[in-house]
Amino acid sequence: MSTRHSTAAARFLKDREQEKWHDETLWLVRAKRDKMSRSLPEWETLRNLAASIKLYSNSHLADLLEQFEKNAAGNGAIVHWAKDAEEYNRIVYDLLKERNIKRLAKSKSMLAEECGMNSYLMERGIDVVETDLGERILQLMHLKPSHIVLPAIHIKRQQVGEMMEREMGTEKGNFDPTYLTHAARKNLREIFLNSDAAMTGVNFAVASTGEIVVCTNEGNADMGTSFPKLHIAAFGLEKIVPDLEALGVFTRLLARSGTGQPITSYTSHYRSPQNGGEFHIIIVDNGRSEILKNREHIRILNCIRCGECMNTCPVYRRSGGYSYTYFIPGPIGINLSMLKNPKLYSDNLSACSLCLSCSNVCPVKVDLGEQIYRWRQQLDGLGQANPVKKQISMGLKYLMDRPKVFNTALKFAPLANQMPRFVLYNKLNAWGKGRELPHFAKKSFNELWKNNQVK
Amino acid sequence: MGSREEILGNIRKNTLFSFEKPSYEIDSIKYEDKLQAFCDMLKVAGGQPVFMSPDDDLDKLISRLYPDAKRIASNLPDVKCAVYNPDEIENSRELKNTDLSVVSGAFGVAENGAVWIPLNVKYKALYFISESLVILLDKREIVHTMHEAYKRISGERYGYGLFMSGPSKTADIEQALVFGAHGPMSVSVVLY
Repeated sequence: MSTRHSTAAARFLKDREQEKWHDETLWLVRAKRDKMSRSLPEWETLRNLAASIKLYSNSHLADLLEQFEKNAAGNGAIVHWAKDAEEYNRIVYDLLKERNIKRLAKSKSMLAEECGMNSYLMERGIDVVETDLGERILQLMHLKPSHIVLPAIHIKRQQVGEMMEREMGTEKGNFDPTYLTHAARKNLREIFLNSDAAMTGVNFAVASTGEIVVCTNEGNADMGTSFPKLHIAAFGLEKIVPDLEALGVFTRLLARSGTGQPITSYTSHYRSPQNGGEFHIIIVDNGRSEILKNREHIRILNCIRCGECMNTCPVYRRSGGYSYTYFIPGPIGINLSMLKNPKLYSDNLSACSLCLSCSNVCPVKVDLGEQIYRWRQQLDGLGQANPVKKQISMGLKYLMDRPKVFNTALKFAPLANQMPRFVLYNKLNAWGKGRELPHFAKKSFNELWKNNQVK
Repeated sequence: MGSREEILGNIRKNTLFSFEKPSYEIDSIKYEDKLQAFCDMLKVAGGQPVFMSPDDDLDKLISRLYPDAKRIASNLPDVKCAVYNPDEIENSRELKNTDLSVVSGAFGVAENGAVWIPLNVKYKALYFISESLVILLDKREIVHTMHEAYKRISGERYGYGLFMSGPSKTADIEQALVFGAHGPMSVSVVLY
């Protein structure tokens, strides 16, 4: 019995060339991260400090959010609270509808993705335009992101070129990334200049000042908010940090970990509405406050969405973001999906070799791999354990508990060496799928030891 | 206010542990030559450091850097080559088709080549909409790291501000690096 992840991964692996490119390109990003981390002697201390700040803020969320709200209001922003996706979508829609706004220039927000905001608004007649280049490409191709920081990492330049020929009238057959990027720049510039509202995500919300911080390389968040009167920003409540000095720690880690840059081109601090404008901030729960009581998984709230765990994951690199059944893939996605709905998303748990590379590089020290291991121990309780593997495990336990039976079985094991393949490699042997059985020795170690044959 | 109370109540009910606030003190990197490190990192970010000596003429320097720029915007009195003052226009959309903007930065960060710019023009659009951007920066105003940077701006009052490190960029098409995704294609930091 294969999980939905392994079935989808098998599809991804059919295109060997693409798989190799995907794997090697993401590994290059990981290598850039290593170069960055080694350029700072204090790197590991920074990671520890970042994790401690997150544990502090996530265990003082209510106080910090109240402080944020008070300070943001003092700056002239209007703060809203949304307990779930439905409420968040409705707040955004109402803000737009009340002002008769038809077009929203949107910069990247995984929260909007989580809440299905785009389709909610578009069904109600709002033209939502993604402005991050990767997100815009996917939107025009009617596809979803396959990575949280490099959303279009699975798309080839030819596909982008062909789509842009249709959508933006670019030259036929010109697939040059510089040409295509600059054509999109021209196209999106008109959107920026002619939108009535802008929406941004939030990388960090600062409690002590009530400001939000948005990090981009493209400058799309800043372009988007530069012209319309209305700016809506929304964040999942774990994005709160206590003060500006805490940002000193996170802004040093975020881009170095995620893309291997010392910092993003733009780290923009929004405090007050622009002259004559409105600034609305939506604080969203959508299940986050429930994670707090989950002792074993509380560190998931540390995540700053840098994407590094995807770049480093051998399974993600070789199976692609679409192989996962949750909208966030990779190690962090596996964990977030299990916290969202363990029955629905348990297929993703198979997408892990427990190599713990993710835990070792995570800038805020989320114990990603360890948490996946813990979830796996609960699979049986969830009724999601693979029945064939369960049989094998029970069989092995029977043998291990009975040394005599075990030794007898071992004596006959070499017989397997001569067995025809169909006897050994069939659907009863889930372990043999994609693996070769070992060649059994004629005599067991036990026998050799007893006969003094061990040197 | 229903959801607000519900969310805060839920958080308080579900918070099982309390972790102490850690000390932010950290033994962070100190560059032997901060200015050199700043210039190196700015180049890594795709920006261009340019030194100006006291005898240099700023306008000449700008025209040497951007000989093709015609519509130049600046609210700085020293920038004589500016053809308009962006603070005098009525609507930020009129900034469209600006070739070059000249603005000033408050300080630079050695570890990443970023310049802190607290909003010092009427429309922040100016930092992003022009094809090229020149940032004037006092070369004595360089800090080592972001820790120092944030210590420095703590307590400052700004409605908007940003750390800008080089030009706008993207690698969203097959990870090929392209400058000028939405903001300036080129950024020069003039160090005086």
